[in-house]
Amino acid sequence: MTALVAVQYRGLAGALGADSLAALAENPAIRTLFGPPVGLDTAGGFTVWRTGTVLAVLVGIWAASTATRLTRGDEEAGRWDLLLAGRLRLPSLVARVLVVLLGASAVVGAAGGLGLVVAGAPVSGSVLFTACLAGTGMVGSALGVLCAQLFADRRSASGVAVAVLLAGLLARMVSDGVPALAWLAWFTPFGLLGRAAPFAEDRWLPLLVLAVLVTAVAVLAVALATGRDVGHGRLAGRDRRTAPSRLLTSLPGLAVHRTGRPLAGWATGAMAYFLLIGLLATTMTEFLRDNPAFADLAAQAGFAQLVSVEGYVSALYTLLAVVIGAFTASRVAATAADETAGRLALLYSRPVSRARWAATEAAAVTLAAVGLAAATGLAAWAGTAWVDAGLGLGDAVTGALSVLPVALLCLGAALAALGWAPAAVLAIGVLPAVGGYLLIVFADTFGWPRAVRWFSPFAHLNDVPAEPWNVAGGIGMLAVAVALATAGCLGYARRDLAG
Amino acid sequence: MATSTTSVPALRMERLGKRFGTTDAVVDLSLIVPAGEVFGFLGPNGAGKSTTIRMLLGLLLPTSGAAWVFDAPAGDVERAHEMLAYVPADVALWPALTGRECLSLLAGVGPGIDAAYRDELLERFALDPDRKARTYSTGNRQKVALVAAFSTRAPLLVLDEPTSGLDPLMEREFRACIAEAAARGQTVFLSSHQLAEVEAVCSRVGILRSGRLVEVAGMADLRRLHRSEVIVELAAPEPGLRGLADLPGVADVRWPSPLRLELSLTGPPGTVLRALGGADVAHLEVREPSLEEIFLDYYGQVPA
Ligand SMILES: Nc1ncnc2c1ncn2[C@@H]1O[C@H](COP(=O)(O)OP(=O)(O)O)[C@@H](O)[C@H]1O
Ligand SMILES: [Mg+2]
Repeated sequence: MTALVAVQYRGLAGALGADSLAALAENPAIRTLFGPPVGLDTAGGFTVWRTGTVLAVLVGIWAASTATRLTRGDEEAGRWDLLLAGRLRLPSLVARVLVVLLGASAVVGAAGGLGLVVAGAPVSGSVLFTACLAGTGMVGSALGVLCAQLFADRRSASGVAVAVLLAGLLARMVSDGVPALAWLAWFTPFGLLGRAAPFAEDRWLPLLVLAVLVTAVAVLAVALATGRDVGHGRLAGRDRRTAPSRLLTSLPGLAVHRTGRPLAGWATGAMAYFLLIGLLATTMTEFLRDNPAFADLAAQAGFAQLVSVEGYVSALYTLLAVVIGAFTASRVAATAADETAGRLALLYSRPVSRARWAATEAAAVTLAAVGLAAATGLAAWAGTAWVDAGLGLGDAVTGALSVLPVALLCLGAALAALGWAPAAVLAIGVLPAVGGYLLIVFADTFGWPRAVRWFSPFAHLNDVPAEPWNVAGGIGMLAVAVALATAGCLGYARRDLAG
Repeated sequence: MATSTTSVPALRMERLGKRFGTTDAVVDLSLIVPAGEVFGFLGPNGAGKSTTIRMLLGLLLPTSGAAWVFDAPAGDVERAHEMLAYVPADVALWPALTGRECLSLLAGVGPGIDAAYRDELLERFALDPDRKARTYSTGNRQKVALVAAFSTRAPLLVLDEPTSGLDPLMEREFRACIAEAAARGQTVFLSSHQLAEVEAVCSRVGILRSGRLVEVAGMADLRRLHRSEVIVELAAPEPGLRGLADLPGVADVRWPSPLRLELSLTGPPGTVLRALGGADVAHLEVREPSLEEIFLDYYGQVPA
């Protein structure tokens, strides 16, 4: 991907003058959303600016969730009991796994930076960028191992680790948008990437800070492993609850109960991000209005309406489709994980058919997705209202709701995977959103034929509220989602249950 | 509850088979368990007990044959499971739910339970239901499943090695519950590899070996398979005992030393004890063989 963007840059070079670049670098909205635009006059610098944050987030999240899976996941499944029955002690086992994970995430991070060297960018900047990506991966895995020491179940551990990483991203945004809080950047790998400024300043001090960050988190993780019991976490929470939940007496109640907490977590993250998006609305639209060169550029990339607040918000709602899609897929993946762990055997020994449970769960997740979209729309509206950007509440919410067909396509794909490929529920579930997004970006960048572009769900989504709903597209996607879900439920009822 | 269905067998399996890749886990298993019977399903680890039970529950699809619960096909879970309750071999619960929440969930999605009996069972099994499942030991998770199963009063109880994590006190309570269920006319299908447990509660047993049902017999017939190890230590040598080997039921007579005698005995020990009567016996030990040994013994005679 980095190589792709570096090559793409060649086409854009020269389209922008030095004045435009300076204006871009000074605009707080641009700085907040994409990081400080420095070194844009080089292919490497442009690539780092366009892809650096996204890549760093992906590498970090991958590293954190892999780390919790290989530590707390294995411990929870009892696979560590055997290892620890010998002479190996818990802290040394944790330390060994941590070292392997740090190495693996460094390799994965380095792979992203390698693309730049391949594309012919200067070596020092490429090495710096690669090191920053690798460092972000290492922070992610150390954080994952740290959370695995704190929480007794993998889901909490990886949830909190990813949340801390995303909070780091938010901190980077705030540090770039609010000068008084610029120092925050020094405490997050994403901020340090911006401070290192590969291809522009090529500063090495932030890299040193990143190394200190990795070491600190890693040492803390191993320290917390010392003196704790195998199978337990440092933060145990309460072990007793005398007032049983009243939801847990029926199938729909169970579905609501298990969706509630994850929904709250995802909603908090999405609302915080879109509140920020809303707060930046006027800065962003005014900037584009004053710098037509960028508005043209955005129009070429498919964001024609970016100069109006409606267009700006609707362009960013594309991201919301990916977020809600990932949420729905992760909920079905949780059901698949429950199956592998044997937690569904007792439920299915009652007069409950698998199709009925899957449908009940899907209904709860659908409602949750609607809630997530509405809440995010509300947050975006609150942000725009604060800066008087003139976005209507109805517009903000309907725009957010308009991405639901893509999210439900993810739910359908995840259910199909539950029936026919239960080991890959998450990967197949996020495919319509993530794969569809990449497909449309590639198709637009390289001018691929419309027939290829058509396969991306995003080709059937209008920029609501800037444009009216694409009713036919929405209905079509819902029909595909229902067909996938039905096929999945049929397959689920007709296969062996694992665990 | 069970009266309306007494004429129909509680469980019927016809040529049931399950193959995992190249492993035949269960082969051609045909078995009928009449309503009201306490049936022991015996076999060493890996014999195919859990696989059979998971097919009865509709959790696994048979590769061949079919099974019925009363007269409902095992695959029609909404009907079949109205009439049964199940305790899996490894009980996994949602870690964040309390025992009470698990129980009320399982009760709520089924045809209803005897709440008073459930509370009594919680007392008897000494289970604290307000703790979260993640704090439960294997035995405690098993207790949750047992309480849930017994409190349904379902006409058929399918139990897969339900006492593997219970201490002896709790195991006694478990046997009492089985006896109560049997007295109430409930059918019990109990998988186990603990002979003592099966002997104590079951009226008929089936023995499974490498996925095949090699024997279905009443409890009295199973005793026929029993072979105990007898160890005798003598205060003084007794050459007259050399004739022991000719007694009925005696095999494998060994003399590690002139003062120590070991033999295997099938059937009642009366004749051997009479023969020992004249000797100066310092120490006598009769060791019941493990189920595994009985199996080995049994399979030695019946190559399969
Ligand atoms: N899901 C599976 N995949 C492959 N083989 C299996 C699976 N489940 C059970 N087996 C195999 O089937 C045989 C019977 O296993 P099981 O029914 O669990 O035995 P038991 O409950 O009597 O100990 C064993 O050889 C086991 O390895
Ligand atoms: Mg078993």
